[in-house]
Amino acid sequence: MASAEARIAGRRPAPSRLLLIAVALLFLGLFLVLPLLVVFVQALAKGASAYVAAICDPVAWAAVKLTLTVAAIAVPCNLVFGVAAAWAIAKFEFRGKSTLITLIDLPFAVSPVIAGLVFILLFGSHGWFGGYLRVHHIRVVFAVPGIVLATIFVTFPFIARELIPVMQAQGKDDEETALSLGATGWQTFWRVTLPNIRWGLMYGVLLCNARAMGEFGAVSVVSGHIRGLTNTMPLHIEILYNEYNYTAAFAVASLLALLALLTLAGKSFLEWRQPELRHAVAQARDRTRRENT
Amino acid sequence: MSIALRGITKQFGEFAAVKNIDLDVPTGALIALLGPSGCGKTTLLRIIAGLETPDEGQVLFDGRDATLWPIRDRNVGFVFQHYALFHHMSVFENVAFGLKVKPRRERPSRPEIRKKVHSLLELVQLGWAGERYPAQLSGGQRQRVALARALAVDPDVLLLDEPFGALDSQVRHELRRWLRRLHDELHFTSIFVTHDQQEAIEVADTIVVLNQGRIEQSGVPSEVYDLPTSAFVHRFLGQVNELPVQLRDGRAYVGPIDISPAADVSSGATNSIALIRPHEIEIGPEAVGWPAIVIAVRVIGPIVRLELSAQGLPVNEPLEAEISRERYEGERFSVGQKVGLRLRRWQVYPASGAVA
Repeated sequence: MASAEARIAGRRPAPSRLLLIAVALLFLGLFLVLPLLVVFVQALAKGASAYVAAICDPVAWAAVKLTLTVAAIAVPCNLVFGVAAAWAIAKFEFRGKSTLITLIDLPFAVSPVIAGLVFILLFGSHGWFGGYLRVHHIRVVFAVPGIVLATIFVTFPFIARELIPVMQAQGKDDEETALSLGATGWQTFWRVTLPNIRWGLMYGVLLCNARAMGEFGAVSVVSGHIRGLTNTMPLHIEILYNEYNYTAAFAVASLLALLALLTLAGKSFLEWRQPELRHAVAQARDRTRRENT
Repeated sequence: MSIALRGITKQFGEFAAVKNIDLDVPTGALIALLGPSGCGKTTLLRIIAGLETPDEGQVLFDGRDATLWPIRDRNVGFVFQHYALFHHMSVFENVAFGLKVKPRRERPSRPEIRKKVHSLLELVQLGWAGERYPAQLSGGQRQRVALARALAVDPDVLLLDEPFGALDSQVRHELRRWLRRLHDELHFTSIFVTHDQQEAIEVADTIVVLNQGRIEQSGVPSEVYDLPTSAFVHRFLGQVNELPVQLRDGRAYVGPIDISPAADVSSGATNSIALIRPHEIEIGPEAVGWPAIVIAVRVIGPIVRLELSAQGLPVNEPLEAEISRERYEGERFSVGQKVGLRLRRWQVYPASGAVA
């Protein structure tokens, strides 16, 4: 090993290695760190008090609450759906499986605007179910349920997509072993399947959550932009920006960015707390070795 | 527990994996299902385990119809080729799994579980490894953990799917002997699947040779090896030389050697082949028997394999013969040497079965 590394190092002289690292860092800085910094710099451009005032605005606060509520509903829904779909696809053979896989990808293929329009066509006042909903005084479009539906639709594939390859790679051996040892289906899921997929699942939830909080297009179509009622954070930011209220726009944007950073931090914390993580690396290595044979 | 299969048939789409199989496994037997890949041996094992449901036929456990019993009610231990250890659990937790998932009424107390797991780990010579994780163990150790885990629930039947297939030959040999000893000590019924004839012969009481979803032959290892009933079994259980049988003047010949008594000349022996194992070819002085030239000599531990080009050999492949190392030390056959061949034993089969 050591000699191999030395050889590689020897073949690639130091300057080119430095150049590669520099390019990577520059790219990272330019496209990831700088924009994030700009958000916070702009937000605080007119001083801390202006920032606090912008955030404490009840309308802004309502947007934050709505965004968190929508994510809190959409993510668990997609969590249950994603695990169920990935389980079915990875562990069972059935008719229509490839159709299901294609359908899961649909929200990725369709523009979010169209996703939003679909719900208007279905639940809007002139839509298919519009009459029924009006009679029963249920508001879907231009209200919270519509936003939740659109968000679920758009974030549909994230968790399932993340899990399907993981579960397919793991095969059915572990589950079949658990069953042969007398475990029930439920015990097998909680004690064997779930621990096996937890990293993939966590990553899927993370992506799903980030998109649920940040979704603009689909939500914009169904929301109706009612301030303090149906504006999520991204919509609120856009309105503020269009009103040339840059400080407030960036202040709310900084909150949204902060939420994203918090999710990332949460993931790192979980990884750090898991005692068996040190085995996960060896495990992954073992699995690739197994696949290669 | 005795197991009986009656007319088991299983189809995967267009592919018939097993076709109308009958098999009896008496209590306490150690049986090998042997065959090339795709012969249906793993499917059969999974049907016994309850991991697959047959399309037709019955699985009987002690005479009771168990065909539709779910796997967790069958009390079988199943061991996979790739161990299928739970990677997020320590070795101790892996072995304890089957005990911990029992319904509360049947579940042993914590100290009982600990005692049992430790005794099982001792049994598989891994008493020191309880706190380790699977990733920290070697392949052979992992497979022993998998065995201990399967044994923890006191199964009536132990099913092993290519249990040693992923291990290197040294460890494989060791584990085979160990499995045999374990079986003799604990007296459960075991069925294992393998494509390795050596493994089947070494470990099993009975070998069941499968080919294209059917049982070709079953019997004790020496019987299946010495008296194969088909060219397929003959080929599958060890090396063979294949020679066409030629008819001249109402007698059957392999090369210049008359094998008439064995070949049924009357029933169109024109289309027959003779299968001869390398150790069944006798090598003597040039003047005696079928003239041949040694074209290669390979010393393989206790045996020496000679490749021979026989005069007028009707096939392109050189003949393979094996002699003992002792004999080789004495006679020193060398490349280019002229020798005479005789056949000690042979089996004649119709050539229709020649195309495997």
